[in-house]
Amino acid sequence: MATISLEGVTKAFKGKVAVDNIDLDAADGQFLIIVGPSGCGKTTTLRMLAGFEKPSRGVVRIGGRAVNDVPPKDRNVAMVFQNYALLPHLTVAKNLAFGMRIRHEPRKTIEREVTAIAEMLGIGSLLDRKPAELSGGERQRVALGRALLRKPNAFLLDEPLSNLDAALRAQMRFELKRIHAQFGVTTVYVTHDQVEAMTMADRIALMNHGHLQQVAPPETLYSEPSNSFVASFIGSPKINLVEAQVLRDTETTVISALSCKIPVNGDLGSTLRRMDGDSVVIGLRPEEIRPCAAGTDGLPVFQGLVELVEPLGSETHVAIRVGEQTLTCRFPPRSGLEAGATVNLQFDPQQMKVFDAESGTRLG
Amino acid sequence: MGTTPATDSPPGAGQPRLEADLPTSPGAGVRLWRASSHRFLPSLVMAVIGVAFLVPLGWLLLAAFNPHATSGMAAPTFSVTNFRAAFSAGAGRDIANSLYLAGVSTIVATVVSTLAGYVLSRHYLPLKGPVLVGVIFLTGLPIPLLLIPIYQMFVQVNWLNSPFYTSLVLAATSVPFAIWLLKNFVDQVPREFEEAAAVEGSGQMRILVRVVVPLIMPGILVSAILTFINSWGAFLIPLVLDSNPNDTPGAVGIYNFITANGQVQFGPLAAYGILFSLPVIILYIISSRWLSGGFSFAGGIKG
Repeated sequence: MATISLEGVTKAFKGKVAVDNIDLDAADGQFLIIVGPSGCGKTTTLRMLAGFEKPSRGVVRIGGRAVNDVPPKDRNVAMVFQNYALLPHLTVAKNLAFGMRIRHEPRKTIEREVTAIAEMLGIGSLLDRKPAELSGGERQRVALGRALLRKPNAFLLDEPLSNLDAALRAQMRFELKRIHAQFGVTTVYVTHDQVEAMTMADRIALMNHGHLQQVAPPETLYSEPSNSFVASFIGSPKINLVEAQVLRDTETTVISALSCKIPVNGDLGSTLRRMDGDSVVIGLRPEEIRPCAAGTDGLPVFQGLVELVEPLGSETHVAIRVGEQTLTCRFPPRSGLEAGATVNLQFDPQQMKVFDAESGTRLG
Repeated sequence: MGTTPATDSPPGAGQPRLEADLPTSPGAGVRLWRASSHRFLPSLVMAVIGVAFLVPLGWLLLAAFNPHATSGMAAPTFSVTNFRAAFSAGAGRDIANSLYLAGVSTIVATVVSTLAGYVLSRHYLPLKGPVLVGVIFLTGLPIPLLLIPIYQMFVQVNWLNSPFYTSLVLAATSVPFAIWLLKNFVDQVPREFEEAAAVEGSGQMRILVRVVVPLIMPGILVSAILTFINSWGAFLIPLVLDSNPNDTPGAVGIYNFITANGQVQFGPLAAYGILFSLPVIILYIISSRWLSGGFSFAGGIKG
């Protein structure tokens, strides 16, 4: 087991920068998930950890040792590939034993450990089958088993669940988490699915265009996004990003949005005082917008037209048109709303996130 | 990519029989007749071609067992005197020589072209494109053109009259096509297989032997069979480079029946021909079982 760190790592392919000067580390035993849209550099980052790509600049460390020049076979990491990469000419048992045989472990040990891991993963009855005879979930387990038998310093997983159907994916999320708890191996997991990231990670590193956007535990990433990209990437349904304007008179600063004037004070107020007339973007999570009777609590109230109601059973998603904007709201079940109805809405300005309109940087 | 194991019968194999089984349905007979008339011309062409191939083969079989065989076809009398004559003329030794030449050249050519095909597929090489074009060009060079300089070289290094060095030249004639073939097979192998083996602790050579070679085995077999057949039938190279009568391979030895005594000994020639064909036929039968497995990574990679 080991810590993992990337120090100022850049990777360029023929002049095209895939990963741009990132600093990232995972503590011993941590479950770190790198998430981001396709082409954001997350897989390249993982491949640098595995040793398949060499950083153009910067240092990759595993267990404190710089491994830039260490070939994959000597890094003692295990990897699970998106497409499993099980050798089709070998049975499940031989695929599991592949690495151990290369490492010349005694035949008795191999047999014992392969059987044990297969039992643990529920593939004990499949040992004599070839990969072609297995379902997606079963292949996934074999790939996991092969990685576990490596007894690695670190696990590297590259979108391991993306070829599975939804139900199986949910089950495997749970199992991966359980396996991680059981073995406690430092894990770096790459995915484009924010749900996987939120449900499994100790810490999430969110990447976009080769840059690290934010590294934080899931709750922090959700509640305190550092910019509008992070805010919109994490959370389902997506956060509502609403264009707004800063207005200021002698005493107060207000944000004008959704036909309301929202007073701001404190640190945010003083930041915005310098931005009179500027555009900003406010972020409101779907659950932060609530229906209300007119004019309560002194909170900003605005009106909207219900466009679409999606009852999910445990909650209801409602699309509401406010001026030019359509807001997605998450209401309790049986909200009694119907398309075409007009509703009063309010939110708590304390929960509102304000971003710079151009850079997307969080202002408060 | 299916999760059920593949069945042996191709899809739709039962279709024509199904139609024939249902003569009661109106118009079935007409449809059947139309279907067969539709296939009449292609079938006729196939039959003509088939006969054209079968006649010489039939002559070979009949003549081999006929002690008084001529260039014409005659009812056989089933005697093995021709085979005795063939053996006493050295058929056994010649075939053993052919096996040696073809075996050594197949092993050498297959090993060399597997390594070269892998490197050309996977690694950055300066001038890789021109090298590959050159390789394809080399497959087209006529062997007689190369043989004179090769003979000169063999004289210089004193390699003449050696079956081993002769087989190296035979291997060299097969290597360009084999490289080209195997490079394309390696191209088809997803890199994840190699990367998975690498993180498991395999070095480059072990990845090649344990992962890539099994995956491209159909290609290696095709290349080996082509090399073997090429070397098995080679006439000019062993004739020129090895004049020791004890080293004569089958393809050269069979020539003795044509020129000896100024006339053709048809019976022993046919018997010799059958004996000489047997190893290749056996090779075909064995390899076809292997090759029918096909070239597929099913199950290993999903995508």
